Amino acid sequence: MKRLESILANIFGGIFLVLAFVVTVETILRKVFTFSLQGADELGSYALAIGSVIAFTLALTGRNHIRVDVFHEALPRGAKAALNWLAITLLAAFAVTLVVICSKVLRETLEFGSTAQTPWATPLIYPQGVWYAGLIMFMVVALILAGRATYLLFNRRIDELNVEFHPKSAKEELKEELDDLAHRSAAPEALAAERAVDAGAHK
Amino acid sequence: MSVAFAGAAFLLMIGMMLVGIPIAVAMFVVGAGAGVLAFGMPFLNSTASVVWGVENENLLTSIPLFILLGELLLRSGIADRMYVALSAWLGRLPGGLLHTNIGCCALFAATSGSSVATAATIGTVALPSLYARGYSMRDALGSIAAGGTLGILIPPSVNMIVYGSLTNNSIGKLFIAGIIPGLLLTLCFMVFIAASSIIKGSAKQEELPPLAERIRLLGNLVPPVIVFGIVMGSLYFGIATATESAALGVVTALFFAWRAGRLSLDLLQNCFMQTARISGMILLIISAAFILNLTISLTGIAGVLTKWVTSLGLTATTMLFALIVFYLILGMFMDVLSMQVATIPITYPIVTALGVDPIWYGIFIVLMCELGLITPPVGMNLFVVHGIRPDKGGIEDAIWGALPYAVIMILFTLLLMALPELVTWLPAKM
Repeated sequence: MKRLESILANIFGGIFLVLAFVVTVETILRKVFTFSLQGADELGSYALAIGSVIAFTLALTGRNHIRVDVFHEALPRGAKAALNWLAITLLAAFAVTLVVICSKVLRETLEFGSTAQTPWATPLIYPQGVWYAGLIMFMVVALILAGRATYLLFNRRIDELNVEFHPKSAKEELKEELDDLAHRSAAPEALAAERAVDAGAHK
Repeated sequence: MSVAFAGAAFLLMIGMMLVGIPIAVAMFVVGAGAGVLAFGMPFLNSTASVVWGVENENLLTSIPLFILLGELLLRSGIADRMYVALSAWLGRLPGGLLHTNIGCCALFAATSGSSVATAATIGTVALPSLYARGYSMRDALGSIAAGGTLGILIPPSVNMIVYGSLTNNSIGKLFIAGIIPGLLLTLCFMVFIAASSIIKGSAKQEELPPLAERIRLLGNLVPPVIVFGIVMGSLYFGIATATESAALGVVTALFFAWRAGRLSLDLLQNCFMQTARISGMILLIISAAFILNLTISLTGIAGVLTKWVTSLGLTATTMLFALIVFYLILGMFMDVLSMQVATIPITYPIVTALGVDPIWYGIFIVLMCELGLITPPVGMNLFVVHGIRPDKGGIEDAIWGALPYAVIMILFTLLLMALPELVTWLPAKM
């Protein structure tokens, strides 16, 4: 899973890194030499389409899809588990709905053989095909997670369910930031602060 | 569709969000649900092109690019080194290192859009030394929590891109409009620190390092200043669109990371992962928000609400006062991005119909979001600074420490209402 995540992140990052260079070159050529490469805009929109579906999946596995946790903490563990289950199940249902309704985009493109309204006249099926595949991947991952949550709920493994599916708290996000800070600077302050947060988390 | 129905749908959505349903899902359920109720199942078909349209929108490509830019500067350590340089220059002011906190947050804000990363980085570097030097923890925590909020007002700001895309306003104009208020608010914070520390008689001042050392340290400020200059300069002079300026920024940041000897595969992978996760979260919410927007525009509910509000005889000023109260309360419980996407589609048509400038309203919304970051019980920045404080103390210190800044922000909003030119003057010059 970790491996798959880092492969996806590299694809995502690679797309935007290449895009940044292409757009920079295009902008400089256009302004300095009044010569346009054409199509950097179009490339940018495909990059977003494909990048965003990869990012949906990574945000899902990183539990980054925001949930408000203000009242969550105060609830008894049973209610927490029910809401955690409901949250991931609804998210999976949302993903399934997206896949179902977006199939229309693909069907129409195939039916009319649509091309982009740009100088390149890219056949839209290429970017849309990749985009749709990414959307399916998002759905599959969401379904697997929802399945896991359902399995835990039915086997009354409430605490495990709450550990794996609870909303990400500020404390967790902070800890991730401090981990990275300690990693990049090896600063004693960061390590000390991290230990303090750890101690707080175990209280 | 009636006002009562719209009100019930809005409350249902906020309710779902508050019990912890993912924000994007809550927006989609209400948006698509109301659409299907009004137009039947064919409504869902029309959402398909909206989803592809949003994710294929070149303007929104600037979101992952700006996030990547901030990540590169943060994780290559370029941002950390700014603190050292600024403390060498600002420590002499009454209030000492507290000014460094604000100044550093403001500069950091100019390169990054994440308030958690800003507050965590500055807090980790600053708090232990503030503690060792005997600064009041309350003052220290408040200054960092409040300084961190500047991140979304001083461009580049992801929250402004979200506003611009939801309301079809120029991102470039919004960014440029944020500069003067951002600088003024920074100044207000610093004046408050100086004044309060003089009044309390606890004005701390730091010894400055020798001039040669200070000038050497200025080198640390070069990368962030150049990145900011390129991004904002290219926007202001119309050389680049928001997406292009973000791309220029990313390439420049890569150059500085390479110069600093920090550019490694490890660093890039870390930046990619963070950027993907944050962008995925934001883009899914935006996709859902556009579906909700479609329902709002097709049902004409915004027009009905606008008529209803105008029939109450509200002026723009009273409406804005009401909105300050509304956002103050909502911001106590909701995360700021969710608050933005959930309310803008409804409030924007109403206030613009009352004659409020769209760009000005964008800055207003961002200020309300900033306020939400430091108002308890859910103020993200309060948790962050509390989490890294070196001594053992309660969260009340962060809350009380940040309170004066919240009051300053509200007063500042009133100032912008009285003098809207502070916001609209610079973008009009573009």
